[in-house]
Amino acid sequence: MKRDQRFKAGLISSLNPAGYSVERWSYTVHRITGVIMVGYLMAHIFETFQLGGGSTAWANTMAALHSLGPMEMVGLWIVAGSALYHGGNGIRLVLNEAFGKFMGKPILPVYPYSPTSLGRNQKVAVWSITAVVLALWVWAGLYLLAGLGVI
Amino acid sequence: MERVVLNVTRSGGKRVGYEVKYRKGMTVLDALTEVREKQDSTLGYRHSCRMGICGSCGMTINGLPRLACQTQLSSLNAEAISVEPLHNMKVVRDLVVDILPFFDLHRSVRPYLMRTDLNERDNSGREYRVLTEEVEKFLQFDYCIMCGLCYAACPTVALDPFYTGPQAIAQAYRYMADPRDEGWEKRVNLLDTSHGVWRCHAAGACSSVCPKDVDPAKAIQLARMEVLKKRILRKRAREGSKLVSPPVAGVTKEGAKPPPFDFGGAEK
Repeated sequence: MKRDQRFKAGLISSLNPAGYSVERWSYTVHRITGVIMVGYLMAHIFETFQLGGGSTAWANTMAALHSLGPMEMVGLWIVAGSALYHGGNGIRLVLNEAFGKFMGKPILPVYPYSPTSLGRNQKVAVWSITAVVLALWVWAGLYLLAGLGVI
Repeated sequence: MERVVLNVTRSGGKRVGYEVKYRKGMTVLDALTEVREKQDSTLGYRHSCRMGICGSCGMTINGLPRLACQTQLSSLNAEAISVEPLHNMKVVRDLVVDILPFFDLHRSVRPYLMRTDLNERDNSGREYRVLTEEVEKFLQFDYCIMCGLCYAACPTVALDPFYTGPQAIAQAYRYMADPRDEGWEKRVNLLDTSHGVWRCHAAGACSSVCPKDVDPAKAIQLARMEVLKKRILRKRAREGSKLVSPPVAGVTKEGAKPPPFDFGGAEK
């Protein structure tokens, strides 16, 4: 199929997990956090590249970053959350994809249908990761607030 | 709920609303048929069996791919229902999509029993052995009705039009798990590409919309493990199961003694 034959609505709906299971939401969040981390990586490379300009250039870069005020910490907090979720969910996906964990074995379908790959084990894995990530993200937020001298 | 409004996306992307009188047990397909018979005979949609067997009436109903004949209006719990053609496919007319590229992908994984000795397969007059516990490993994936809902739901298909797709990979695995098949290595090579099993990102959308619980997400992960068996464990193609003697005519009648099941008939 040529690229120009694709139905545009499919592209739009691929970004929208509404109505699907929690795994589909997890996929969307995984993608968004991946993009955030790539953006951070680019910015980080640009930042460290300034070291090549000597101590004055580095001091200017740091001053520019600190001039953002609390937004700098908010940005770092979002990056920390992205890294935590992307990493945690990534472990689940590796267990899924390389070892077949949480997928279940082939069964004889009986109505009302309930696919085992989206069954209890998968849900427990998704929600456990989400809970751990949220807890660590809150802790990261408190750590960053302490750095700002707020708490 | 006395009346339901169907907001149908027609050719060109134009949305047209049709009001239908609701009756108990009415499906989206029934409502569309009523619209075509009483309001707008130009409305295009595809259907055949009306009972979830043929897989022809797949469409996007309230944002999710579903079979129109299996979707009761009452289950949608809404007085306004959006009906669009299936996503990830080219629209032919109104709700009818071009399903041929989808069938081409299905054909590309060789969804049939492959044997090295074709003369034996076609002319022996006997069957290849397959045990009940072996059937259980692939029977679930054999229930696919090729409706295309998984293909329409897959976010990876939307982003990569060259992706083999959940339906085709599930069918490839169905034959890879069949002990009668000798095409394991060929199918592994077909799937072990950047547009094959490695493109799946485990969103699970395919399995959540499958009307027959074929669970393509599970089949894709199982197919991945077969690919890894070849890559890491250096597994090679296996020999298919042997021929067995056919049942003798009449032995199943009451009182008659069934013949012994002869697994080794082919070698004698």
